[in-house]
Amino acid sequence: LFRGRNNNKGLPQSTISFDGIYANMRMVHILTSVVGSKCEVQVKNGGIYEGVFKTYSPKCDLVLDAAHEKSTESSSGPKREEIMESILFKCSDFVVVQFKDMDSSYARRDAFTDSAISAKVNGEHKEKDLEPWDAGELTASEELEALENDVSNGWDPNDMFRYNEENYGVVSTYDSSLSSYTVPLERDNSEEFLKREARANQLAEEIESSAQYKARVALENDDRSEEEKYTAVQRNSSERESHSINTRENKYIPPGQRNREVMSWGSGRQNSPRMGQPGPGSMASRSTSHTSDFNPNSGSDQRVVNGGVPWPSPCPSPSSRPPSRYQSGPNSLPPRAATPTRPPSRPPSRPSRPPSHPSAHGSPAPVSTMPKRMSSEGPPRMSPKAQRHPRNHRVSAGRGSISSGLEFVSHTPPSEAVAPPTARTSPAGGTWSSVVSGVPRLSPKTHRPRSPRQNSIGNTPSGAVLASPQAGIIPTEAVAMPVPAASPTPASPASNRAVTPSIEAKDSRLQDQRQNSPAGNKENMKPNETSPSFSKVENKGISPVVSEHRKQIDDLKKFKNDFRLQPSSTSESVDQLLNKNREGEKSRDLIKDKIEPNAKDSFIENNSSNCTSGSSKPSSPSISPSVLSHTEHRRGPEVTSQGVQTSSPGCKQEKDDKEEKKDAAEQVRKSTSGCNNNELFILIFLQPKPSTTPTSPRPQAQPSPSMVGHQQPTPVYTQPVCFAPNMMYPVPVSPGVQPLYPIPMTPMPVNQAKTYRAGKVPNMPQQRQDQHHQSTMMHPASAAGPPIVATPPAYSTQYVAYSPQQFPNQPLVQHVPHYQSQHPHVYSPVIQGSARMMAPAAHAQPGLVSSSAAQYGAHEQTHAMYACPKLPYNKETSPSFYFAISTGSLAQQYAHPNATLHPHTPHPQPSATPTGQQQSQHGGSHPAPSPVQHHQHQAAQALHLAGPQQQSAIYHAGLAPTPPSMTPASNTQSPQNSFPAAQQTVFTIHPSHVQPAYTNPPHMAHVPQAHVQSGMVPSHPTAHAPMMLMTTQPPGGPQAALAQSALQPIPVSTTAHFPYMTHPSVQAHHQQQL
Amino acid sequence: MAAPPGEYFSVGSQVSCRTCQEQRLQGEVVAFDYQSKMLALKCPSSSGKPNHADILLINLQYVSEVEIINDRTETPPPLASLNVSKLASKARTEKEEKLSQAYAISAGVSLEGQQLFQTIHKTIKDCKWQEKNIIVMEEVVITPPYQVENCKGKEGSALSHVRKIVEKHFRDVESQKILQRSQAQQPQKEAALSS
Repeated sequence: LFRGRNNNKGLPQSTISFDGIYANMRMVHILTSVVGSKCEVQVKNGGIYEGVFKTYSPKCDLVLDAAHEKSTESSSGPKREEIMESILFKCSDFVVVQFKDMDSSYARRDAFTDSAISAKVNGEHKEKDLEPWDAGELTASEELEALENDVSNGWDPNDMFRYNEENYGVVSTYDSSLSSYTVPLERDNSEEFLKREARANQLAEEIESSAQYKARVALENDDRSEEEKYTAVQRNSSERESHSINTRENKYIPPGQRNREVMSWGSGRQNSPRMGQPGPGSMASRSTSHTSDFNPNSGSDQRVVNGGVPWPSPCPSPSSRPPSRYQSGPNSLPPRAATPTRPPSRPPSRPSRPPSHPSAHGSPAPVSTMPKRMSSEGPPRMSPKAQRHPRNHRVSAGRGSISSGLEFVSHTPPSEAVAPPTARTSPAGGTWSSVVSGVPRLSPKTHRPRSPRQNSIGNTPSGAVLASPQAGIIPTEAVAMPVPAASPTPASPASNRAVTPSIEAKDSRLQDQRQNSPAGNKENMKPNETSPSFSKVENKGISPVVSEHRKQIDDLKKFKNDFRLQPSSTSESVDQLLNKNREGEKSRDLIKDKIEPNAKDSFIENNSSNCTSGSSKPSSPSISPSVLSHTEHRRGPEVTSQGVQTSSPGCKQEKDDKEEKKDAAEQVRKSTSGCNNNELFILIFLQPKPSTTPTSPRPQAQPSPSMVGHQQPTPVYTQPVCFAPNMMYPVPVSPGVQPLYPIPMTPMPVNQAKTYRAGKVPNMPQQRQDQHHQSTMMHPASAAGPPIVATPPAYSTQYVAYSPQQFPNQPLVQHVPHYQSQHPHVYSPVIQGSARMMAPAAHAQPGLVSSSAAQYGAHEQTHAMYACPKLPYNKETSPSFYFAISTGSLAQQYAHPNATLHPHTPHPQPSATPTGQQQSQHGGSHPAPSPVQHHQHQAAQALHLAGPQQQSAIYHAGLAPTPPSMTPASNTQSPQNSFPAAQQTVFTIHPSHVQPAYTNPPHMAHVPQAHVQSGMVPSHPTAHAPMMLMTTQPPGGPQAALAQSALQPIPVSTTAHFPYMTHPSVQAHHQQQL
Repeated sequence: MAAPPGEYFSVGSQVSCRTCQEQRLQGEVVAFDYQSKMLALKCPSSSGKPNHADILLINLQYVSEVEIINDRTETPPPLASLNVSKLASKARTEKEEKLSQAYAISAGVSLEGQQLFQTIHKTIKDCKWQEKNIIVMEEVVITPPYQVENCKGKEGSALSHVRKIVEKHFRDVESQKILQRSQAQQPQKEAALSS
């Protein structure tokens, strides 16, 4: 009804025709405005019913909730048994309905607009009559002149005393000697006294000559008004300079003067950040100022803050340099970091910290602030941000935009020159190899803890976040070390370049996220020292450092975990971005623009992540290599971690890992995706980097329409959006380009998994909206960086998962043995997907979350919807490829997958953890799944090749379109809805389709299912897709049964995860969606 | 829209009518639907609150003596968009409140208890009936006869806060009674004087 009304009101001309009073705008308006109000309905027989007006029909039948018949006698309220849940009054049954005391403005949407407020006020308060001003005898000019020249600042105390005494008879007891409060100093000429006096004077002199003292006094005695200090408008009034001096203290000081003052004040005047002073002293002020400066870049703000810190450090000399803060900052940074490579933002960050110290030294006040901040929230953020910011800045600089121009500029140049190339290139090509090798390297448990986390933090997309946090905290030193290396890391530069200006904003966002990691600050500080080494061989240098800092890192790890949430989100976002990028590439058409930004963002993120990863992964050799290694590490660690995390997964995971490796390799080989894989890995590892890298490559290869849609959302979300978009993109990407996808898929899973582990935990909490999903996701995330993967990944993963599943399924069918392992893999992918899905939810949480979530949800829902239809279709005809794009792909997938799935499912079940959801999630999310998926994907690709691709394309297209349409519903429902839908779809599928599937559902509980579930849960959409596949498989035959089982597990997991599943409402939703 | 008087009502017109229950109604037309014969009128608030109005939805099928006191031909003001979610939530809370109140009444809670509950509910939404006891924030239990000393729970800010509310409630009720009494007495005195 509401919608109808709204439409009626808002879109009277809409194609929808409204019947009865629904066509009467004014009637609809007045009746709608009294909804929820108590009313009395008088019926024909004279009886009066009271209730809460609930709604009305086109025929003007009215519904009252909690209604009761009013009795004339008792004044007390109705008894419980007298109240009817709701009563429908036919239009012909009532005579009059009375709504008492209605506030006509209650439901007004514009209740807080100026016009609404003024209208209300005007009604209540009559404006005062204006009175002409009588200047009296004095001419206006003279009087004003007198006022102007009055140097006194208000009343003289003695005047006040006198006035009070004369007018009120109050005699002040004020004693200027303050004898009531203190004792007068008794002077004498004794030697002792003179000595002490001399000593006192000496101390006073020392104190007063200290910079800190001056700075503080400057703060205390800052004559500038608030307006002067914080105004964004700088006025040039040289004339007033003299005035300012002579006139009252409060007098307005022209901007010009202020500037001068500022200059003189140096750090002391930090208060006026805008002045451009270095403001090393006042961190906060700087940060704020920076933020303001950076504001242009949405994301840059936070970064700015961080950057601000760093800047200060650079500025160390600051006070004098204020104007050229940024420039100086960068400059200073390089020197300290030595880093030659101011390059990446990271290096800057490190430098920044160091600089901060210097700055601190330079200006005592700043220093103090810095440390405190560091210790407190501020510092971490600052450091991380700083690191990131620098990157961002650089990026932005590269882009050429942004207020912070100087900083950015400085940053950008370096980054562009150095990082970008290495990061990108290396990631793509070397990543996999490095990854593979890296995994082993990292594989070492020791690495996992350290490197993994670091990797996850730094490398993973979430990495950005995670990395920042982790790095920031634990790694601090180690990380810092790496960071410098990383910073140099071309990655950031590369990303910057690749990203383009648009990225800046996103970068800033990313940076912000990164900033979150407190550790960063410390790290930065430390890094400075180590930075040189880093520059040489970042990875290597880092590794040593890491070893040294392991303990610290461990400690930091905890923090990282905490921070991970953010990181994870970032990672997710990165993934999403990557995906989006890919999709965007595919769907370049419209999407390109949007995607590009996303890609940029992702790139930025990637860069940052890379940087972070680099920093974190110091162990890895060269930077680019480091990136790769990082990625590898992440994967390996993640995998291992996943295995660890997942109780059952252990073996499976290992298998998965192997598979993943294989998959990765395969993917690399197969696809153009080699690059993609690399990208994926990169993405995964360094969400930001990946995105960037992916973007460029992927976009070309895989621009998917769907991506576009997703991208759009991202903008809306801003940072969150970015994530969401990322998520979205990833998903579409995988689906869209099957060939590519496979690669991405595999990488994605791995990366995601890694990322999840690192970031997921943190992310999960943040994302908690989708708790169930997330939780599932979480698990995966725990294995990998859930958070990162979470939202963005979810989509991407989901999509990926789908594609993989499809592919895998086919292969699986063929390779039963593989299937077992693969199944897990599949699940893992799924999980990843789920994780990604989760991530979206998480994204949604931020604010954007809702929209993003909705979008995602919509997408997911759509998928689910499709899936549902497909499932049935599949059953009937295994190849209902084209139902919906998604469905079509699903169908295909199903057909192939089903066979594979079925086998898988059985296996998984056993292996799968009992606690399907969580465990499965862990397991599923784990690398193993991803590998499997990859394999599957590959196989599927091989099988479907053209078909899959087409399907994928369709998928994308479908997705892209569908999402938009779906979006509304999905939005409303958001992730949960989508999830439920997915679940429902699954259920539906089971029933309708495959009997085996049904049987499988029970199995669901089993480990395999768990895996699937986990995967599914996180990414319901993915789950759906898998489901679809499963269903399709059944038709296929025996294998189908297996597939079904696999599918079932997924649904189960979803169900398990979501209490909602059981709920009818959910089903309804699904149906609606369908 | 210039409808002939008697058949159509233009928004803004003053209309009066008499219902089949012999009730006289008058107000400004805010909406009229010819098909359903529904007329929405806006009348001055029965409670006299400014910025508030009573809205009447009249079924003209059961009304007689409809007359337009003065017609208005000006274009009615545009309609503001409504915050539907706000309305929906209001409907929900209103319903819950009514049900919760009814629950208490059916439990045999005294009028004072009901009033106290209403008072507390204005300040603290998290309060509910448990049998005849009022549970506030899951911490404080107010048992009949709902006096300050009946407030029990873990000593703390919550308990003291609830006690303050209860204390003020009864103080206000007391002062209201006195006011009413004095008002009731005045007429008597006047009557006595006059007699």
